[in-house]
Amino acid sequence: MPINTAAASTSNGLLLGTVIIYAIAMLCYACDLAFAKHRVLAGATEPAEVAVPELVGAGGGGPAARGPAAAAGSATTTGRNRPPVDVVTSKPASRWPSGFWLRLAFSLTCVGVAVHVAAILTRGIAEDRVPWGNMYEFIAAFTCMAVLVLVAASLWYRAYYMGVFVLVPIVFGLGVDLTVLYTPVGSLVPALQSYWIAIHVTAMIVSIGLFIFGVVVTTLYLIADRSQRRLAAGKPSWPAGILRHLPGPAVLDRLSYRSILFGFPVWTFGVIAGAIWADHAWGRYWGWDPKETWSFITWVVYAMFLHARATAGWRGRRAGWIQLAGFLCLMFNVIGVNLFITGLHSYAGM
Amino acid sequence: MTASQEDATTSTAIRGAALGALGWLRWTWRQLTSMRTALILLFLLALASVPGSMLPQEGIDPAAVTQYYQSHPALAPILNRLSLFNVFAAPWFAAIYILLFASLAGCVLPRTVRLVGSARQRPPRAPSNLARLPSSASYTTELTPASAIESAAALLRRRRFRLHTGDGWVSAEKGYLRELGNLLFHIALLVLLFSVGLGGVFGYKANRLLIVGQGFANTPTALDVFRPGRLVGPGNLQPFSINLQNFHAQYVTSGPELDQPLSYNAGLSYQTQPGAPVRHYALRVNHPLVVDGVSVYLIGHGYAPVVRVTDGTGTVRWDGPVPFIPVDQSTMTSEGVVKVPDARPAQLGFAGVFLPSAVDAAGTLESAFPSALNPRLSLIGFSGNLGMNSGEAQSVYQLDTKGLHQLRMAARPLAAGQSMTLPNGLGTVTYLGYQQWISLAITYDPGQMPALISGFAALAGLILSFLVRRRRVFVRAVPAADGRATVTFGGLARSDAAGGFESEFAELAQLLRAEQAGTSGAAPEALAEPDRDSGEAETAGADVDPHEVALTGPDGE
Repeated sequence: MPINTAAASTSNGLLLGTVIIYAIAMLCYACDLAFAKHRVLAGATEPAEVAVPELVGAGGGGPAARGPAAAAGSATTTGRNRPPVDVVTSKPASRWPSGFWLRLAFSLTCVGVAVHVAAILTRGIAEDRVPWGNMYEFIAAFTCMAVLVLVAASLWYRAYYMGVFVLVPIVFGLGVDLTVLYTPVGSLVPALQSYWIAIHVTAMIVSIGLFIFGVVVTTLYLIADRSQRRLAAGKPSWPAGILRHLPGPAVLDRLSYRSILFGFPVWTFGVIAGAIWADHAWGRYWGWDPKETWSFITWVVYAMFLHARATAGWRGRRAGWIQLAGFLCLMFNVIGVNLFITGLHSYAGM
Repeated sequence: MTASQEDATTSTAIRGAALGALGWLRWTWRQLTSMRTALILLFLLALASVPGSMLPQEGIDPAAVTQYYQSHPALAPILNRLSLFNVFAAPWFAAIYILLFASLAGCVLPRTVRLVGSARQRPPRAPSNLARLPSSASYTTELTPASAIESAAALLRRRRFRLHTGDGWVSAEKGYLRELGNLLFHIALLVLLFSVGLGGVFGYKANRLLIVGQGFANTPTALDVFRPGRLVGPGNLQPFSINLQNFHAQYVTSGPELDQPLSYNAGLSYQTQPGAPVRHYALRVNHPLVVDGVSVYLIGHGYAPVVRVTDGTGTVRWDGPVPFIPVDQSTMTSEGVVKVPDARPAQLGFAGVFLPSAVDAAGTLESAFPSALNPRLSLIGFSGNLGMNSGEAQSVYQLDTKGLHQLRMAARPLAAGQSMTLPNGLGTVTYLGYQQWISLAITYDPGQMPALISGFAALAGLILSFLVRRRRVFVRAVPAADGRATVTFGGLARSDAAGGFESEFAELAQLLRAEQAGTSGAAPEALAEPDRDSGEAETAGADVDPHEVALTGPDGE
């Protein structure tokens, strides 16, 4: 199999560049949180739906009517939420970021993700195959997907506030990937030589990217929810300062739910595609190999999250914790199973 | 539902044990089919799977279980008693998923009935105050209230809403596909489980080791391992036969991936039944041979040194290839034994190591590469009683040295054609060369296609239930001053998981306004702006909706 060494070293350089760009973008997002006082989201975004249902959709009511609602705090955790700009102008806010630091941070994120994609493409050219044949390539791919989700969520849901929180684990993960897990370009063992690698592993990469975004949002949700309850009880809450720059727990909860709504079917598809491939390669579609077992466990825990989210008494905090547990199962599957347990997927190893 | 549940609880409290079996049964059923129980069962299912990935499993790697017994002699029998070496066939594992699926069925069946019911019924009456709904708008029109309602109904009907009209109002509902998708998902899971069971009952799995030049017919006696499903008899096996013509393995010869396999290729000839034309197939990993619905997979390979053993009487007692098991995949260093029970005056046994590419590494020979570039066979001889008549089952890959004593002779690695004379006139052993072998997995699983179809049906149901929202919109028109009508338009999404109802509502409101020409100035500020991008601004009516309680429709939710 031809190995293109020039493309291989280009890819390495590009991935290193990606980490550096992400790190700078992360700092810019942090600067935005620190210096940009113009967007204090959390206080105004928790109209208590139960208390003042007339507000709902009653555009004529206007900002005056919303004042007391915001002041009333949160009677429910799943209220409707509008950024304050909406209330003031009655118009949807711009899709694009505002403020110097945020514009810079978002532009850098976009440049970073473009370089990231280029790094993956050149790696694929170097190896003349789909570049997800080992742990190093796999992590590079799903971190790229997570940043793509961040960009999409920023544009689609104006979730610019997520930037720093998503980029911290991404920079860390890519750093570990480049240093500890680096694998030189190479060919695939016969068991991996199948077009199913493009289908199965791609589905897994897409869903893991969505799950990463989801779990970061959920972690923030759990912190925001706790902070809100402590403040309501008159107790101090140290994250409250940062949380003022974020929307309230309800918005975070919905944002995370959305990413799981996208991620879960893709994960399901990935598991099915994996089963078909397993049938082609090993003669059975399901054999409780450790990797299969843990993808099943992950699936079940995320299914629990979706059910909990639709069940009274479980939605909110409990569902959030279940999603966290699901993500831990996922990470154990991605990393732990390869490290600690030998199975048929061991070749995917380190 | 809640009311009847309370009834049941009260009556249980009053009559206690006198409630009788039926009451308890109903109570149990209700508990079982509650979402809380389903959540707990899902959790247990996840938890119960964990030991299956941590401990060696009989069904996956029996050798590892044996090894675990040796390294943990005290713990292993206890774990075995708890079925922890066979988790996925354990009774307690089955108990969890059977309960889960019973819970699922108990949840899904009544919902199916209800879906059919609500699809037949009309949407509920429009509530009196539409401004209280999560989304609402109002405007005035030149039309009379009756014709305003008529034109609104026509518009909604064109948009494929189901309608219910009354005096001065119209109710419309859409999105039954959501519940259908949800049901499809859960029913497909039931079918999936059933398909897996089907494969387990009517299918079979087998293994066969095949040396180049050899062949076999698909009969239970010709298979090394044969695991039939419960309802599979010896006569049910598809009567094909397979011969192995050749086998080629290719490895990386340089660079950091030295020794890594590049490709395996087994040239097979096969017949679908005795007397049928002979066909050829290049069997590779990921490219199974499918004969008569049965799949044949290449799952392993190795070397089989060809050995000739002449005993003390000068008679050739063994002449042929002996499959050796690779102990190191990267160098294909392989180990095996040769048993010669017919040798006289004493039975002979040999434990051997086969090195495909022998090199001298500091005085000892090692294999440096998986291909047979410089093959050497090193043998240690034993004589005495092989213990093959004791009635105990013996592995063909291990020598029971209890009744044997090792022959004193220099362990000299043999090149092809070289012989070794055994001491005490016991005979000679000659290494003639090597053959390669492959191991085949043979599976027949009639549940496979149903499982695949139900898997994709579950996925389709999932996507449908996530994408479609069930929503209701209502229009009320009341006479206003100067002969015009004031129209209020309200809506709510009953399940708006993916969001986006608000923009749909706004679009509908725009259309309604445009339809009912003669609109006067009141409209613009009353209408919700299309607000597609602000996810934060969408209705939360999906998940928790205080209004929904007030709007409980005839479908009883």
